[in-house]
Amino acid sequence: MAATTVKAEPLGQPPEEKVAERVDYLNLPCPIPYEEIHREALMSLKPDVFEGFRFEFNKGLNPQFGLSHSVYMGLAEIPSQSSETIKIPTAQYEFGANFMDPKLLLLGRVLTDGRLNARAKWDFTDNFSLKANALLTNEPHMSHGMFNFDYKGTDYRAQFQLGNGALFGANYIQSVSPHLSLGGEVFWAGQHRKSGIGYAARYNTNKMVATGQVASTGMVALSYVQKVSEKVSLASDFMYNYMSRDVTASVGYDYILRQARLRGKIDSNGCVSAFLEERLNMGLNFNLSAELDHSKKDYKFGFGLTVGQ
Amino acid sequence: MASRAGSSSRGRTGKGALAEEASTMKKVKEWSNWTLKKAKVVVHYGFIPMVIIIGMNSDPKPQLYQLLTPV
Repeated sequence: MAATTVKAEPLGQPPEEKVAERVDYLNLPCPIPYEEIHREALMSLKPDVFEGFRFEFNKGLNPQFGLSHSVYMGLAEIPSQSSETIKIPTAQYEFGANFMDPKLLLLGRVLTDGRLNARAKWDFTDNFSLKANALLTNEPHMSHGMFNFDYKGTDYRAQFQLGNGALFGANYIQSVSPHLSLGGEVFWAGQHRKSGIGYAARYNTNKMVATGQVASTGMVALSYVQKVSEKVSLASDFMYNYMSRDVTASVGYDYILRQARLRGKIDSNGCVSAFLEERLNMGLNFNLSAELDHSKKDYKFGFGLTVGQ
Repeated sequence: MASRAGSSSRGRTGKGALAEEASTMKKVKEWSNWTLKKAKVVVHYGFIPMVIIIGMNSDPKPQLYQLLTPV
């Protein structure tokens, strides 16, 4: 009798597992926000490379409130018409204040030349949130601002954008299966008299993320990130503009180790870059950045220290 | 004559209504430009002080000297 009951259990298990694997289409997960659809590829392939010396000090007065002081000394690029890049040495100090609450996020950074970079995010309810982003300068007509109204549904997200220069945009993304989500966006820029429509798709599993995006401005962007192990992930990216016939492909790696994070990439434009963030001690991070652009003969090296509490 | 006068006065009121609409649109645009300019100045100077005030009033309330010392 005991033998028969023991035999019955393993036979009973596989049908239950098969039932659990069947997809519940009414209960899909909420998708990633539309603008973060390439998030993994962007984090691995586009680290914040800089040139010169950067020192940052973050002081937390409160678990929610903190101030940051940052000094940068190095070369800044001036956009020029000729193929050579013109760099002039600059030094600047940036003061920042940030307040992080579960419902309200405020971030402000002001530079010595009077430029203010402000970001705010307010969740009025669980599903509805308002985001605002502004870059204000003292020069007339050079400031930008944008407001986003987001609505998060059970398995979809919708967003409406309003920006200066009569910029209107809307996007929508829907989870179609537990791994696949599809979305689209439209925008209309009054000042530049441009409008466009775009579509995006994202397929992700625990080990990989593949995204594709097409827009009527002529841009086609595909990316693929594979998580090879807990510490290593590889990413590749392909961008093609069918109007201007511009193609860029890049391949990169991202090592997330216990004390360091190393990211490197190589581009089809002949650009090789690497970025290292190493944790020397509790609250002390050391950054090294290098970008070698062989086609433009532009070499940038930077080092920095971040002291955060 | 009367009909011509009547039609001309109706024509004038017709053009007058259109002119009124155009001027209200202009006024609305002028006001919205004026408010946006003032709002930009207010945000430019007041955003960081507002974040600091909100932060200094949150729990646990930090002391004023903590704002200024480096440690």
